[in-house]
Amino acid sequence: MNQYAMIIDLDRCVGCHACSIACRAEWQIPVKEGYRRNWVRRLGPAQTSRGLSYTFYPGLCNHCDHPACVDACPADPVPVTFKDVKTGKTVDMEVAATWKDPFNGTVQIDKNRCLGCGACADACPYGARYVNVELADDDSEGKADKCTFCMPRVGKGLQPACVQTCIADARIFGLRDDPKSEVAAYLKKGAKRLESKNVKIGPNVYYFGHKKDLELLDKLETPQEMPEANSRRIMLAKMLKPTLGKVAQLGIAGIAATTLIGSEDKEE
Amino acid sequence: MNRRHFLKMSAATAAAMAVTATGDVGGGNLFRPATARAAIGPETGSMGAKEITSVCEMCFWRCPIVGKVKDGKLIKIEGNPKSPVNGTRVCARGNSGVQLVYDPDRVKTPLKRVGARGEGKWAKISWDEALGEIAHNMQQVKKKYGPHALAYFDHGASAEFMRGIFKAMGTENFTSEPAFYQCVGPAALAYLNTVGYVTTGTRQYNDMGHAKAMLLVASHIGENVHVSHVREFIQGMSNGAKLIVVDPRFSAPANKAHIYLPIRPGTDTALMLAWINYVIRNNLYDKKFVANNCEGFDQLKTEVKGYSMEWAAGICDLKIEDMKAAILELAKAAPNVNIHPGRHATWYGKGDVGRHQSYAILTALFGAVGVPGGIYFPTPVKLGKAECPEPEEVETAEADPSMKEDSEYPFSSIFGTTTRDIINAALTGKPYPVKLLGVNGVNIIQTLPNPYDTMKAIKNLDFIFCEEMMAGETALWSDIILPDSVYLERYDGLYAYDGLTPYLTVRQPVVKPMFDVKSPYWIAQNLAKKLGIKGYTCKDEEEFLNEELKGAGLTLAKLNSRGGLVTYPGNPYRDPKKLKVGTESGKIQLSVEEFDDEDLDAIPKFEPTPAPPKGYTRLVYGRAPMHTFSRTMNNLWLHNEMPENKLWLNDKVAARLSIKNDEEIILENQDGKRSNPIKVLVTPGIRPDTVFMYHGFGSKSKHLSRAYGKGAADGFLMPTVVQAPFIGAASQRTNFVRIIKDGKTLNIPELVAVPNEIPRYESKIA
Repeated sequence: MNQYAMIIDLDRCVGCHACSIACRAEWQIPVKEGYRRNWVRRLGPAQTSRGLSYTFYPGLCNHCDHPACVDACPADPVPVTFKDVKTGKTVDMEVAATWKDPFNGTVQIDKNRCLGCGACADACPYGARYVNVELADDDSEGKADKCTFCMPRVGKGLQPACVQTCIADARIFGLRDDPKSEVAAYLKKGAKRLESKNVKIGPNVYYFGHKKDLELLDKLETPQEMPEANSRRIMLAKMLKPTLGKVAQLGIAGIAATTLIGSEDKEE
Repeated sequence: MNRRHFLKMSAATAAAMAVTATGDVGGGNLFRPATARAAIGPETGSMGAKEITSVCEMCFWRCPIVGKVKDGKLIKIEGNPKSPVNGTRVCARGNSGVQLVYDPDRVKTPLKRVGARGEGKWAKISWDEALGEIAHNMQQVKKKYGPHALAYFDHGASAEFMRGIFKAMGTENFTSEPAFYQCVGPAALAYLNTVGYVTTGTRQYNDMGHAKAMLLVASHIGENVHVSHVREFIQGMSNGAKLIVVDPRFSAPANKAHIYLPIRPGTDTALMLAWINYVIRNNLYDKKFVANNCEGFDQLKTEVKGYSMEWAAGICDLKIEDMKAAILELAKAAPNVNIHPGRHATWYGKGDVGRHQSYAILTALFGAVGVPGGIYFPTPVKLGKAECPEPEEVETAEADPSMKEDSEYPFSSIFGTTTRDIINAALTGKPYPVKLLGVNGVNIIQTLPNPYDTMKAIKNLDFIFCEEMMAGETALWSDIILPDSVYLERYDGLYAYDGLTPYLTVRQPVVKPMFDVKSPYWIAQNLAKKLGIKGYTCKDEEEFLNEELKGAGLTLAKLNSRGGLVTYPGNPYRDPKKLKVGTESGKIQLSVEEFDDEDLDAIPKFEPTPAPPKGYTRLVYGRAPMHTFSRTMNNLWLHNEMPENKLWLNDKVAARLSIKNDEEIILENQDGKRSNPIKVLVTPGIRPDTVFMYHGFGSKSKHLSRAYGKGAADGFLMPTVVQAPFIGAASQRTNFVRIIKDGKTLNIPELVAVPNEIPRYESKIA
């Protein structure tokens, strides 16, 4: 797997919030409490062990190595064939309504199968997901939503919207495991994950900057505990299980069609 | 969700099932809908939208942009990729222009006041009636009091066409921009007289991107966002420039500084003069450059010799070793050093021009004029001149006495009429009564210090009208409100950028105007007709833009075929041996004789501004990166990022007063004026003798449904102003506050002793 990752260079960041608004514009995220794929929090000025710090927490989905959200999804798994466009390699996987892409490592949501139960949002220690209840329909209480690393844009050769608008070029997007990438260069320079003793799920947004700023960021924003599973969600998930089996069977035909459409398009 | 609900769902899902992802390591990961029926399709975002190039006006910096339109609706704004200054980037506000167009609180039709002034009650009227009322009142006031009773406050692109109307009516008060007199004016005057050009006006010519060291004095680039500035600043920093920040508040750039000097407010000039003296005494200046290009060095040397570093350390409340380290860093980088003028300059009154003179002097001593990293020279873009956007020349009677020519502020008339003098004339009738105000693109009640005077002055007027997109405080006080079109709905003039990488671009409509709004050109044209003023002869904006483009060998169509923007080679630097600047002698003036001729200081002196009265602290303010002035607080997206301002309060002071972070308090100033409730940010990042808030909040207009009453308005705590002797700019950092919590008045403990040399402000009440 070649994991997509993002670097946030706090030495360059001025905390202007262009990123979070460009994301909102690009994906038409409604303005409502907690509705956002991308955010900036203003931290300090506060004292650190290395002097005063006034820095920022530009956050988004971390597309973790071991995403807690994916495991939390109660939707019954369906078989899906993933295909790497470059090599033609395919991987068959059973996925729920949210999964980690085996080729590029991004975490994605199938809104058509999402039940809007919110279990994934509860499971994320970074609070990167929310449920958009405006998308509630007969089939769901809404749809889980979060950053996709702008895969539809990246697929067209564009940068993620937040990266494109960043006035200070403080966001760097690319392949983590490609040693020639700028992301890899930042990792060598010591870009850090927001991880703690009890929260080690391999987030792929990395923060670079002065030690005092990273200290304040870590102190205020690194989650210290994995969220406890919400009992209501578990109950709901259990209740849904039997019916979901049928859905999975019915779904197979749909998936075959999808793969076909996908390959046709690529030949254009 | 219950089981029945879920079963119903599964049937629907069967038809609309499944998505797969095909991993594309090289850059394409495609999402596909299963079938078209009821499925949520793949996200396309703003991709595939129609793209129209234009120019931003969420602030006056005017970055080149692209509007992205789907189904006739503007959905996103990006930077124009052809732009050498911002490329595809726009700031938070630039991104949020979308929500200005679709703000439900916009002024939608011409309005006529039906309640009392300030009440905000209006009736809808037609354009014909509205322009008729304005024309009638302009003529009546002119007939009754003479042409000079008419005055115009303007700001921004949309205000320029109407300026011609006031000029044609014969008033001398056709420009009195708060953006000049209450902002960059003192700085512009200082640089004009020292280095011979306005280094810092609407544009700024500071080459931060190539600087090896930079000095910011309370300038908070990054919180104050103009995209090209931020980019040049970050470019300089990432190239390893040393940054010195002088500010009573630990700002965003202070966080990036190598040396941070938390100066006592009001003492910046003391620090600058001590540094200048130190640079001269220790031979840290560029002798060749000074000998070849500067005048007045000997006078300067004599004048500053009393300002020692030891003395300044006490006055400024700074550590002498930090002060020395800072000036040595700056000297080491010379001539590639940027002594940044900041922008907003009207702080303390008398010393504001001198403070900026001292920046210009230090720049010259380091030879940082016309070299990479220093201040540079603009490269004008050659354009044509269309006659049609203006009224025909009219002969105007000179005012006697003239508010401009007989002003007690000898340098005010270079640019227009002092903003504060217009308010005074409306208040007192002296030197003659001002009885009609046109206000365009500026919310004078939030912008000018002492809004109480501004409101009183408005009460004295026979007539006031404004052109506004949103009904802020000034609209509340207006007799007629003309709905302004948003910059995304209209044409304006050409935008020629004369900075490091010159370019030419044009604003053009991205979407059709919403509601019953008209373009500024149409408004001026039709008002001119009502007034019988000849001119504005072009059919529309396209015609005059084509006229103006002729000089550049372009047409609107040609410009659009080239991505809406063309670039030119820049010529920013000069050979120091052949330097000739725009002063009369062609030399840089370290001592300004023109000031001396008016009995003002030729070389700046330090005169302390009074310290807070006992029990009070000084109120300062600044910019938030997601807001412009007081005009964006109602914007859906920007409001969502920062709905209110907070009061920055020193942590030790807060502990003494038992105030906790995020607690709500009220501020009371030295004259008993009180603020809206405001939350407190308890932080070590501000001095104990200073409090700070972001400007523009605390709207008093109920017509701004999101912004109304959110946070506190700094201006309403500023009734005390000192008019500076150069241009009559009114000071904005000469007011003091204490805190009211749960109805109890809390005096601010004085944790930093005030030196005897600094007098104390004498409060009328405390």
